[in-house]
Amino acid sequence: MKQMMIVAGMALCIACGSARRMPEGDMQGARENASLENGRHQYMKYCQKCHPMGEEGLGPALNNKPTPGFVEKFQVRHGLGAMPAFKKDVISKKDLGDLIKYLHTRKKAKRLS
Amino acid sequence: MRNYSMLLQLLLVIVLTACYSSRRSKGGGQTNVPAIRETSPADIVLPEGYTAEVVASGLNFPTAVCFNDEGVPYVIEAGYSYGEVFTVPRLLKIVNGETQEVMKGNENGPWTGIAWHKGNFYIAEGGQKEGGKILKVTPEGKQTVLVDGLPGNGDHHLNGPVVMNDHIYFGTGSVTNSGVVGPDNADFGWLHRFPRLHDIPCQDITLAGVNYEAADALNKKGGAQTVTGAYLPFDSASTEGMVIKGKLPCSGAILRVPLQGKELQLVAWGLRNPYGLAESPDGKLYVTENGPDVRGSRPIWGTGDVLWEINEGSWYGWPDFMEGKPVALFKRPGGAKPQKVLQTQPGEVPKPVATLAVHSSSNGIDFSTSETFGWKGEAFIAQFGDMAPGVGKVLSPVGFRVVRVNVNSGSVEDFMSNRGKKTGPASWLGTKGLERPVSVQFDPSGKSLYVVDFGILQMTGDGQSKPVKNTGVLWKITKKSSL
Ligand code: HEC
Repeated sequence: MKQMMIVAGMALCIACGSARRMPEGDMQGARENASLENGRHQYMKYCQKCHPMGEEGLGPALNNKPTPGFVEKFQVRHGLGAMPAFKKDVISKKDLGDLIKYLHTRKKAKRLS
Repeated sequence: MRNYSMLLQLLLVIVLTACYSSRRSKGGGQTNVPAIRETSPADIVLPEGYTAEVVASGLNFPTAVCFNDEGVPYVIEAGYSYGEVFTVPRLLKIVNGETQEVMKGNENGPWTGIAWHKGNFYIAEGGQKEGGKILKVTPEGKQTVLVDGLPGNGDHHLNGPVVMNDHIYFGTGSVTNSGVVGPDNADFGWLHRFPRLHDIPCQDITLAGVNYEAADALNKKGGAQTVTGAYLPFDSASTEGMVIKGKLPCSGAILRVPLQGKELQLVAWGLRNPYGLAESPDGKLYVTENGPDVRGSRPIWGTGDVLWEINEGSWYGWPDFMEGKPVALFKRPGGAKPQKVLQTQPGEVPKPVATLAVHSSSNGIDFSTSETFGWKGEAFIAQFGDMAPGVGKVLSPVGFRVVRVNVNSGSVEDFMSNRGKKTGPASWLGTKGLERPVSVQFDPSGKSLYVVDFGILQMTGDGQSKPVKNTGVLWKITKKSSL
């Protein structure tokens, strides 16, 4: 029950500061490991257009919320609210794992305000 | 756990749905206009090591820049902006931050692009009143019309040009949002001027007979409903199996003519608004396409703008595929699934190189060719920024930045945007930074990126555009270490 409360609290769009991150420097991408690179690729393919750079756009901001990975995965698989769902035949389990990992590195990147 | 999960799901659905649908649109144009536009590069964020400076300001709806062989910048002023504001299109030479008029055009803007090739300028004249044209202009300002009678009187205009393989390549924008003329086109203004205008396919197409009811926007039927099919004039219904003859010039396409003009050739079609054209360092043609809006008789939701590599002869899917995917996927929350309007699909739809933010209005594009500037081989794209609520709802401003795209991986990263807790035009943020970047161009050395900033364009609550004259700026970005 406690877990559910935490999750519901986060879903209530508690914004924790700026969702903006400093633009990456030249060659920063090249230093990534394969799984992060795949995560970025998946994010760009399926999420970027509505959550540009993890900021608010057509959809809400993602960078500035401490939402745990399993809740984000739940959102992707079920597409709650206005967001479309992405099932396993579109984004595989491994790709979604990498995607969430990438999303969480974005959250930790240097803030821009 | 199972119970938890179901409860959680229920709760989230309730919270999220209520949350999203009750939130108001907060687009970048939904703001008050400052009395004067000031600029300060300090309000702009770039990756470490890059600096921005102002080259010229006070420009009137500028849309593009090019350079002569000596590297002198020339800017075009559009002569038209959404909001039905007509001014005089002009070609300007920029010398020490001052503008010198080279030539003036007719009231047939917007001029959307310019290229310099072997001693002449080539200008894409949008064609809001007389149809699209390609103009050839000498450095002294003498102009000849190379091609005319091109589409451009509708929602979207004639775009480009880029010179490749001894041909001038250009884009013709679609007349409508998603193939069907409706009251939204009366709001734009042009339907009153051209009540019979509609999209034209490049090859024969067969319609599925899907029709759309809408309000009597032209007040011809005493308020009765109108019924309109795709690729037909307003209030003309389609029937199943109806064939619409393809012809050149067509709308929503990439076309080309030899440098000396004359014979029009089809390069690719099935595009909505192919705005920015550029040749990559390895000689391929790339095009940015503005995706559809949530407006008119056939609203489409959640479609990104797209970066395409153009394969000669291909059909890119509009109006039945968006981003290379079936249109049924792009239904409004709570709305009906959009139906296909074509009975037979004219071809296999290619896959996008990159999908850009929904409503970002991803426009001008150029490639870095310089180790000194960095990101050699990547595409830089100017995002004019959303025109919400006219195009649909956004939670925060979308676009209003220059992004760079790795054309191999499809990743889209921030390159130039305003400082602030949110992205947005300077007028929205209350700063002196970027407003609406509309095109980008590297100088001939490849060491500096010029960014054309259209200036302020406000959006009213009912979706009308209110552009502000003489607020355009030309910015220049350089890598510090390369100075
Ligand atoms: C077509 C646009 C669209 C796409 C594509 C999309 N989202 Fe969303 N997303 C939304 C919208 C809209 C919401 C808000 C849903 C609501 O409240 O009704 C949302 C909500 C979310 C949330 C919940 C955050 C919150 O504050 O409510 C997460 C997490 C999320 N999206 C992650 C993703 C990921 C990861 C992807 C890529 C796999 C993705 N989204 C793709 C539109 C989109």
